[in-house]
Amino acid sequence: MENVLSIINLEKNYGKFQALNSLSLEIRPGTIFGLLGPNGSGKTTTLGIVLDVINKSGGDFRWFGKPADYSTRKKIGAILESPSFYPYLSATQNLKIIAKIKEISPHRIDEVLQVVNLFERRNDPFKTYSLGMKQRLAIASALLADPEVLILDEPTNGLDPQGIVEVRRLIIQIAGMGKTIVLASHLLDEVQKVCTDFAVLRRGKLVYTGSVTEALAGKELVEVLSDDIDRLRRSLDDFPYVNSVERDAAVFVVSLKDGKKAQDLHGFLIENGIVLSHLLTRKRNLEQEFLSILAAHD
Amino acid sequence: MIRLLEIEWLKLRHYRIFWILLTLYFLVLGIVCGSGMLFLQYLESRGASFQNISPMLIPIYDFPDIWQNLTYLASFFRIILAFLVIISVTNESSYRTLRQNIIDGLNRKEFLLSKLSLVFVLSLMNTIFLLMLGMVLGLIFSSVVDARFIFSEIVFLGAHFLELFTFLLLAMLCGLLLKKAGLAIVLLVLYTMFIEPLITISLPSEYASLYDLLPVKSLNNLIDIPFPRYIFREMQNFIAWKSALIVGAYAFIYTGLSYLYLTKKDL
Repeated sequence: MENVLSIINLEKNYGKFQALNSLSLEIRPGTIFGLLGPNGSGKTTTLGIVLDVINKSGGDFRWFGKPADYSTRKKIGAILESPSFYPYLSATQNLKIIAKIKEISPHRIDEVLQVVNLFERRNDPFKTYSLGMKQRLAIASALLADPEVLILDEPTNGLDPQGIVEVRRLIIQIAGMGKTIVLASHLLDEVQKVCTDFAVLRRGKLVYTGSVTEALAGKELVEVLSDDIDRLRRSLDDFPYVNSVERDAAVFVVSLKDGKKAQDLHGFLIENGIVLSHLLTRKRNLEQEFLSILAAHD
Repeated sequence: MIRLLEIEWLKLRHYRIFWILLTLYFLVLGIVCGSGMLFLQYLESRGASFQNISPMLIPIYDFPDIWQNLTYLASFFRIILAFLVIISVTNESSYRTLRQNIIDGLNRKEFLLSKLSLVFVLSLMNTIFLLMLGMVLGLIFSSVVDARFIFSEIVFLGAHFLELFTFLLLAMLCGLLLKKAGLAIVLLVLYTMFIEPLITISLPSEYASLYDLLPVKSLNNLIDIPFPRYIFREMQNFIAWKSALIVGAYAFIYTGLSYLYLTKKDL
């Protein structure tokens, strides 16, 4: 099956500053793709280029295997950064404009407003909406054409915890409809909860791409603590299957090499006469993975 | 094209400020153009006379002179329509809806065409308004109602359309480039009222022939001031081809620059 989006050696320069440096990326159909990276790493620039609001300096990209033109964008639902609507128009009136732009019938407007739970407020002007409602309207507009692909750039930016939960639930619900979703976010927890694949950008370069399960598989983190801290520390250094040891608050967090488990470490420590007062296995999370990927490229 | 006009219509239909300004514009234009007789009455009450002829007898609403008189007067109010165009264009920047329109699947050329359609419709509305106003005022006050004369200088309405259309294109370009409504309006007013007149004053007189090439001067050249005819002075009571060509060229330049800006710029 054709890639939904292929990005080939994409370049973007702002004067001397290189915002994107030969970026290549492939997004397969049906994936929920998380685009990660610190602020200023080129996430929005990348999305802006593939959505044709930013001109590329070099390289190429293809939607559904074809060179992009504007009619492709009619089949994509996208929000970039903040939700942008006419403030004096209501949700329905705003969506009517979008339906006209996308050359689709406006009959789905009520339906998408119900999906994002804005139907009751559909006739109120956009400017009276809370940030969460604005963000939800943006998602409704992205859904309007019933697109195969949704591009959501920081969809939970600036929302309160309740708003974040609402939007996250919405994304999972949309993913359940079988759509391909590209999600740019710096909230890794979020990406881990919903994404199947992810890529990490750093200073306009791709530093990692792969599936979330692979990235998190096989690597176990173990928290340990003993009364004799110095001896524990020395023994940890002696254990041959350790990747790294970090002090996290009161405990040591030990990252084990592939295939090694907490019981291997525990057995080794017992043999060395150390009795633990605390032993906990932690699943690796994307946040740690992300930070170590970034650290490796520093 | 109809679709683009519909998009523009959906954007403006519920935009109250736009309609208030537009209504005010037509109201003021109608009142000013229609109160010529009152003005002449006022002149008479002040004891003014033109070579012993009562001002009331000045045939300002006679066909076909009425067309030049009305279109000349109307050009003073074109700046209000320019505000409307500027607001419509700068809103798209400040609401970031220009960018969102493109993301949603409008291409940049279509966006430009949708704004061009607004400029076209405003110019056309204005021309039709003047046509109707002229017919009504003329049929009431004109001593000549022969069809031959009624429409013999109707070309002034065409010239007025060209003038307004080009000026509104300039307003659109200002709005696109400057992005802020206030800034664009102030600069446009400053330019038309002060900067260009200053340029004409400060240029050495041997360059006088170049004045006619200036953006606003060339617009004003299109329809000459008609009133000297009532004191039997020389005035230009026709549309000079050269002026029309210069204005037409500006219309192309403004459209071209807007297109270049929209296609080259990161939004």
